[in-house]
Amino acid sequence: MSAAAPPFQFPSTYSFPPFFTPQPNSATRTSQLQKWSALVQSWCRHHRTYRLTLSDAIESPLFYNAALRKRLSMKDARDVLDWMTKEEEEGGGGQRAEWLDGSSKNVARIWWKRPEEWAGIVADWVENTGQKNVVLTVYELVEGEGTMSQEWHGMDTDVMLKCLNVLVKRGKAQVFGGDGQEGVKFF
Amino acid sequence: MFFKPLDLTTALRPALLPDETLLFVQDAVGLYEGKYKIPNYQNGHAYLTSHRVCYVAVEEPRKYSVGIDLKEVDRAEYQAGFLKSSPKITLYPKPPKGSLSKSKSAGASPSRRQSPSLLAPGPQIQPVSPKVVNATWVCPICSFSNPVPSNFDPSTATASTPIPPCLACGIKPPLATILKAVITATASRDVPSSKTNSTASGLGGSVPINGSVSLPFSDNAQVSCPRCTFVNHPSLTECEICGASLVAPGAWKTTQIDSHRAESPAPVFGHNSIKSTEITDCMKLSFRAGGVQIFLERLKGALIQRKWLLYDAPPVPQQPSQSNSFSSPGLTVTALSEGNVPSPARSPGVGIAGLEQRGLQARKNNELVIGNAFEDLEALMASAKQVMALAASMRDSGMTTGDLSGEANAVLLESAETMGMVTTKDMLGSGAGSLYISELSRNLAEYLTDDRKGLLNKEGGIMSLIDLWAIFNRSRNGVELVSPSDFQKAAELWETLKLPVRLRQFKSGLLVVQRWDWSDEETLRKIQAWMVELREVPPTETVAWDWRIFGRAITAQETAQRFGWSVGIAAEELEMAEDKGVLCREEGIEGLRFWANYLSDTGDLGLSRITLDEVYRYTSTA
Repeated sequence: MSAAAPPFQFPSTYSFPPFFTPQPNSATRTSQLQKWSALVQSWCRHHRTYRLTLSDAIESPLFYNAALRKRLSMKDARDVLDWMTKEEEEGGGGQRAEWLDGSSKNVARIWWKRPEEWAGIVADWVENTGQKNVVLTVYELVEGEGTMSQEWHGMDTDVMLKCLNVLVKRGKAQVFGGDGQEGVKFF
Repeated sequence: MFFKPLDLTTALRPALLPDETLLFVQDAVGLYEGKYKIPNYQNGHAYLTSHRVCYVAVEEPRKYSVGIDLKEVDRAEYQAGFLKSSPKITLYPKPPKGSLSKSKSAGASPSRRQSPSLLAPGPQIQPVSPKVVNATWVCPICSFSNPVPSNFDPSTATASTPIPPCLACGIKPPLATILKAVITATASRDVPSSKTNSTASGLGGSVPINGSVSLPFSDNAQVSCPRCTFVNHPSLTECEICGASLVAPGAWKTTQIDSHRAESPAPVFGHNSIKSTEITDCMKLSFRAGGVQIFLERLKGALIQRKWLLYDAPPVPQQPSQSNSFSSPGLTVTALSEGNVPSPARSPGVGIAGLEQRGLQARKNNELVIGNAFEDLEALMASAKQVMALAASMRDSGMTTGDLSGEANAVLLESAETMGMVTTKDMLGSGAGSLYISELSRNLAEYLTDDRKGLLNKEGGIMSLIDLWAIFNRSRNGVELVSPSDFQKAAELWETLKLPVRLRQFKSGLLVVQRWDWSDEETLRKIQAWMVELREVPPTETVAWDWRIFGRAITAQETAQRFGWSVGIAAEELEMAEDKGVLCREEGIEGLRFWANYLSDTGDLGLSRITLDEVYRYTSTA
């Protein structure tokens, strides 16, 4: 998280008071949840957050609009994240979030890019920088100087591993080693 | 007798004339002209009022509705149902005015006098049958049953008419006794007479009209004696037991008409409109769903009461004081010119004192009218017209001088207006629970759409059923109140009866009454227009949101105030709009408020929409 980053631009809906009240009309509710989902994702993306702790975030400007003195309650915020974890087929937000602490539902990973999308970006980077058939450590990939300019720089290692697993499945990479010493070879 | 075109109310009931009252309603009634069914007039409601018999068809009531003035009806006869034939009531027109001196009845319209000669010339005019009164009167002294003399005519009889004395004791009876006897006999002789009637017409033979009638022989037509009910052989003209005449005058007349018809049959009613056509011999009402007995009973009552005469009746004799006040202007002049005329009536003439005097006299007169009216019920009924007129004049004076409160005014107005047009259960046919409901339904629709009261408009075009129930029952002045379940059933019928009001149920179960052309779309449009308006008006205090885009929140109270609805209905309408995706809600410490729906992207509702985030567009997995 870089402190020098420009302040987050909230969408205009953020200052619309009914945005903070769960809507009974199902169609309106769906749009409302979509907007919340988009807001949470863009917020996390702006702040390079991969995991969101609800008990902390509830007091942050994300869920609390100080100007309107409106906030999303813990329950409503959890409903939003819950909706994000579901698949679109189930009427959810397309697995844009994932609970990391099981049933207590406090910490969630926010997939502001899905693992598949990350995998594509990494693969493109490898292609563009001519690093095929080169062995890289995962640490190198995430924290190394060569990836400073890349979006995933500073990503959690386990998130990166998930992305790499997608590539492995596609047959474009091979992951070896373990216990924080993982290496990866791209094809 | 004519089929007259009928004015219908908004609820498709006949519009009543002043002073006219509704007596009875029966559904599933068909019309016949003579013996012929009239097309398109075979399923409708028959309304019996004090002045008319009205028919309103179920299908296309505005097109197929006619009325017949009772004043042109001579008498009504009953014809019992047989196998597939429904019981019928036959109405015979009064004979042409000139042909018999008998019809002396006042209130006959000029049109009636002219009509027979103009429209039915020559042989169409039927000679009126001799009035054979097959009645007996019971002597009040010795209680011997005497026959009423055959030349006795109740319509012309006066105190000077010679009355034969009692055959047993030789004492002359009072005229009233004989009159009563004749009237009861007329009322009760219909059953046998129609029986003989159908027999005769069925054979179609020409029957001599003179006194010694011998009916054609028919093996299944037995004639029961109207006096002792003994069933006689049809060829007998007098009862075997009591000797009473078996042939009712009605039978002669119809027989004669039918024979006449056989020579030149009337045009079959092939054309659709029978309005303003004349009924030459008779018309029939066929009662396919019962109710014939009560209809007949009340019809006869109405024919005897002859309420239409009251319409032209002279006013109640004025008090002598009235003439005093009329002559007062003249007195004023003399008083001014001569100054000291010793006149007892000088004081009422001058200035304010005169006006006061006049007022006093008017009040005294009113007092007298009211006093007379309430002396007993009979008198009240008789002077109902006057009392109504008084109420109306009080109302008018109340409007100008303001000495009556608005509420009392409204009560007076309502009580006067509802007297004529209420449907009560005893007004309706037997076993006609559904008829009561449908009539009540029409009644309610009229009540609601009455322009004079403007009830529905006052409530913003929509009101809850409970409110309506309370107001409606209050207007009935505590009599013939409507039960809630009947009321609801009646309201549910509006849709099927195609009346101009509708019952509507909100999501919460609240039942409301609204005009038929009222629709959710209309309401939504109104609300949206308001929302657009709110976006143009800057809020009074600074707000954290961009009011140019979002406008501001509205509450149910504000909505109620703006559209003239009750708060409950406003809340329901707002929720309806929310349900349709036009509004969305905000729950806060201020309570529930509604906003234009900027959350939803779906649907084109004519509102300016904003997309959430242009930069980080939400990507759905393709």
